[in-house]
Amino acid sequence: MATTAPRPASLRPPLDELVIEASQIVKTYDTGRVQVRALRGVSLSVHRGEMVAIMGPSGCGKTTLLNCLSGLDVVDEGTVLIEGVDINRLSDNARSEYRAKRMGFVFQFYNLLPVLSAVENVELPLLVSGVPAKDARRRSLAALEGVHLTEWASHRPGELSGGQRQRVTIARSLVNDPAIVWADEPTGDLDSTNAQEIMDLMCELNETNRQTFVIVSHDRGVAARTHRIVQMVDGLIVDEERPEGR
Amino acid sequence: MDSLFGLPMNALLIAMVALLAFSLSTIAYIALRNRIMFLIGLRNIPRRVAQTVLIIVGLMLSTLIVSAAFTTGDTVDHSITKDIYRLYGHVDEIVEFKSREDAPSADIGIPADDFASLEQALRGDPNIDGLLPVIVEEVPVIEPTQRQSAPNARFVGLDETRLGAFPDVVDLNGNLLDVAALAEDEVYINESLADELDTTAGAEIKVYYENEPIVLRVAAVAEGRAITGSFGGGETEGLVTRLSTIQRLFNKPDEIQFIAVSNTGGLRDGIEVTDAVEARLEAAFVANNLQLNIADSKRDNLDLAELAGNGMMTFFLIFGTFSIAAGILLVVMIFVMLAAERKSELGMARALGTKRWHLVEMFVSEGMGYNVVSALVGATLGVLVAFGFTLILAAVFAGADFEFTVEPAVSPRSFIIAYSLGVVLTFITVTFSSWQASRLNIVRAIRDLPEPPAKPGWRSLAVGLALAPPAALLMWWGYASDVAFFFGLGFSLACLAAAILSRLVRLPARPTFSAIGLALLIFWALFAGGRVPGVGELTGGPEMFILSGIVMVASASYVLVYNADIMLAGLSFAGQGFGRVLPALRMAIAYPLASKFRTGMTLAMIAIVVFALTMMSVMNSNFDRLFLSEKNFGGWDVEVRENASNPLEGGLAGALEQGETPVDTSEFAATGSIAVAPPFRAELCQPNVSNCDDLEEFEVYILKGADEAFFRHATIPLQARATGYETDAAVWGAVAGEPSKAVIDVNALGSDFLSFGDFGVFGLQGLDADVRSFDPIDLVVRDAASGAEETVEVIGIMELGASGGGDPGSSFFGLMSTSGLVERVFGEPDFTNHYVALDDSSRAEVVAREIESALLTTGVQASSMRKDREEESALFNSFFYLMQSFAGLGLVVGVAAVGVVAFRSVVERRQQIGMLRAIGFTRGAVALSFAIESTFIALLGVLSGVGLAILLATSLLTSEEFSATGIQGVYIPWLQIIAIAAFALGATLLMTLIPARQAASVPIAEALRYE
Repeated sequence: MATTAPRPASLRPPLDELVIEASQIVKTYDTGRVQVRALRGVSLSVHRGEMVAIMGPSGCGKTTLLNCLSGLDVVDEGTVLIEGVDINRLSDNARSEYRAKRMGFVFQFYNLLPVLSAVENVELPLLVSGVPAKDARRRSLAALEGVHLTEWASHRPGELSGGQRQRVTIARSLVNDPAIVWADEPTGDLDSTNAQEIMDLMCELNETNRQTFVIVSHDRGVAARTHRIVQMVDGLIVDEERPEGR
Repeated sequence: MDSLFGLPMNALLIAMVALLAFSLSTIAYIALRNRIMFLIGLRNIPRRVAQTVLIIVGLMLSTLIVSAAFTTGDTVDHSITKDIYRLYGHVDEIVEFKSREDAPSADIGIPADDFASLEQALRGDPNIDGLLPVIVEEVPVIEPTQRQSAPNARFVGLDETRLGAFPDVVDLNGNLLDVAALAEDEVYINESLADELDTTAGAEIKVYYENEPIVLRVAAVAEGRAITGSFGGGETEGLVTRLSTIQRLFNKPDEIQFIAVSNTGGLRDGIEVTDAVEARLEAAFVANNLQLNIADSKRDNLDLAELAGNGMMTFFLIFGTFSIAAGILLVVMIFVMLAAERKSELGMARALGTKRWHLVEMFVSEGMGYNVVSALVGATLGVLVAFGFTLILAAVFAGADFEFTVEPAVSPRSFIIAYSLGVVLTFITVTFSSWQASRLNIVRAIRDLPEPPAKPGWRSLAVGLALAPPAALLMWWGYASDVAFFFGLGFSLACLAAAILSRLVRLPARPTFSAIGLALLIFWALFAGGRVPGVGELTGGPEMFILSGIVMVASASYVLVYNADIMLAGLSFAGQGFGRVLPALRMAIAYPLASKFRTGMTLAMIAIVVFALTMMSVMNSNFDRLFLSEKNFGGWDVEVRENASNPLEGGLAGALEQGETPVDTSEFAATGSIAVAPPFRAELCQPNVSNCDDLEEFEVYILKGADEAFFRHATIPLQARATGYETDAAVWGAVAGEPSKAVIDVNALGSDFLSFGDFGVFGLQGLDADVRSFDPIDLVVRDAASGAEETVEVIGIMELGASGGGDPGSSFFGLMSTSGLVERVFGEPDFTNHYVALDDSSRAEVVAREIESALLTTGVQASSMRKDREEESALFNSFFYLMQSFAGLGLVVGVAAVGVVAFRSVVERRQQIGMLRAIGFTRGAVALSFAIESTFIALLGVLSGVGLAILLATSLLTSEEFSATGIQGVYIPWLQIIAIAAFALGATLLMTLIPARQAASVPIAEALRYE
């Protein structure tokens, strides 16, 4: 279900437009005693409207890769272009603004603010972007409608089920009409039924709005529903595959 | 300083050291019995340095306040004691003439034969070093070359043949000065007089006695001592010569006024035989039928020094009570938060097999680690704070020409008690908090799930039912015995019991607690003003200030935290105007409201101190306005006080005509005078309550008699009038026109507990402090020296402001009747005060200077009455602001609490901070959110404290009791309140800077992984 009015077909971005271009990115963590090379020269390109899953064993660097691609962390070497913009050259404030306007995030543990209601959580990115409060509220309610949670708008996260909370997170990630949605283990804390529902929602949004999704997951079932699966081991991409039927 | 609230300090020391030993031995027991838990507890301390520092700061404050109070008491005691030893020198007792047993008279001389008899009777006593006959006259002294004067210098005459036991006449280098070597026209002047006259050895000065000049040469400058004229509480101007010289100059042959007695043993050791010497003296007086009395002693003054030290310490402790209470709250909150921080660890520890008691041991170990250090820091800083305060106090007094040499001092005993008290208080609080923290559900703790809302059970029922009977009993007892504290405490406990029991019957929390909170607020507002229906006014003192503050702040905190979401709704409604700041603002309010306990505690800590400070400001400001009110001066502008040795011949007008310089009296609208009966000779007795045939029933008071000219112009306001008198003017008209009518000052209604040395001060019985109308009361006025008596009828009571607020030196303090009464009972008055009303009151200071200059040689002191009052008020206010600053130390607790909460919030919300940064919050927005959050809590606390104080003060000041004093309306010192609020908010903001920056600097990727 669309969170905004479907764009006319003539305005849909072509699938072969590159929206993410990462080249030889290296990321090292210094724990004081040990240096951990989490990424050892990773290159990845993602097209607009593509749904990509990043898989691999624990500690292979998939979350680190997601963080570096989304600008949540800076790389030590290499370049990351998002819609042609080198995000590592942006200032912290500029990166924050970019994330507010052009990106959405879905985390495993929802990361909703427990003290705000569902609609207040959803409208946060809009308010941060400078959207007037009235408009932000209207769009947020529309976003909640898109994930079938209109009647829960004034409830706090503590009053919602796990699946409902994740839907609120998805609504929040989409309310600003982002170019890319970054999802880190979006179904990791859900039971199978809710996980299925969340994936259905994300796929629907991808098909309807042509939003690009980059999903980190260790769940094969989740990955199977994407356009492409990227396998990582020990900080490197070792394989790429297209799931059956894609 | 030997006692605290009546408890001997030595006993307190033993008790506190015992409790300290118990606390430390508990830790030692834990360390020995369960080393692992002990070490785990201690290892938590260096985990977060900033938080540890904050905890130590918060914990130390209670100890700091106690230590500062004790040290101030020690310093005052030590300083005054040091001065007494210096001033009294070798004079241990002073003997004066008396007319009967308990009313000595200083203005009647001791016959020379009496001295000889006494000397003979005491010869050979091993405890007595020597006796010294002394004569003293107060005289004006002028230095003609420098044109300087001292209007009331003490001219002391010493028997030079008996100074062997009194080597106290020394020069500024400590060398003994020989009084016997003085020529007939030579004197030694003391340092104070030398400073006042700006003169030195070799100069010529003039002393005026009975308006005649006596030219004298200054042989040397001596140190200020009792026998060089400095006595009566400080360094005063004085000059010394031989006894025979003064007797000749003042035509008082063979007359002496005092006998100084020196005990064996020197300056300090002589004290030890004071009891034996006094007994010996009394026995000698009786055995030889001598009309003598021991009027003063060094030891009595040392006792007063100790009393002053105790009083100062008690004063500081009372003002610090709120801060100490806030400090205890902070300890509880810190340990609750530490427990929350370590919940998962504690859950895992329990899962592995540790018992609840082990968790208590761990927390107590950690708590005592902070405690031992913080108490030491607090005790030490308290000493430094007290030193600072007493130095400021000395500067304040110096500015008011009141010499008070401060020498900072702290006794080891005081330091140990303060340290021990701090450790023990915190130990108790930590143990209680640790026990609470150990009560956790293991699974919820491991998974860091929130605890479900506590369901009230049998414990709540037990507590509620246990509270109800004592609450009812206290209310009944308080009402029956007219003790406001018991009634107020009982009612508050009853409301608490109702709140606890309401949860058992599942009443909704918000309306129930809000209603009970509001009920308590309304009760205390009404109770303060004696307006509770069916209860009226009960008797209370400073303890009511403390109780009302604590209960009102607690109630308001409950009401606020349970209803502040209304504010959030309002904010959301008004969200349009806040733009990009709205999300930060919304979170800054939503988070505190979600943590009711934490927010409530923090705002209560700030509110309670702000409440105390605001109350102090409002009450002080209103009383200040009362005392500075124009009506208190009775229509007069200038007061001229005569020197007893140089009465003004022909009254003020006559003296001014013959004065050295002309004074334009055409601007005088009126003049009048008040004769003052000799102090300590005027006594009163109230025949309707006492048997006035028994001379023991008489007590001293100040008696004044005004002349007709005074009454014609005066408009002194009255608080109460006798029945039958419709207006103040009718009362004063009756006093002026009818014989033996009088008006008394309002202080007489509450002064039966006061005393001047050994003398009880008269107190008017049978009238309440807020009386407005009464039946006339007879008083018997008596001259203790001659025995002459007369009965007067009291038909009016002066307002507090006009009465000088309890200052016996104030213009209209005392029983006031006609000058005729004073003459009939006492003969010639001791001295007369003259009053001048001007056409232009703004010229009062100028005219006063002109009068004093014109009458320089008579030693009069002329001053603007308004300026005198303003200077007294300024002195009092300086002292008051010092006390207020001390009370304001408690704000450190509130600010520390805000800091602790902020630091803790950064840790708890780390993952959420990462999420916020991920969705686009800038660093600045995150920091702003934290800063606003802390400021919001502080603002709630400040507004709560200010609001409650204004409510309570308004209720008090508009009550019958206070409006009877003459206070009209309620004045709110907004500037002072804004300054208090600004300070509290500013300090909070500063405290929040570090945690706000920490929150803003959280690395996003790390934070998102944080669990």
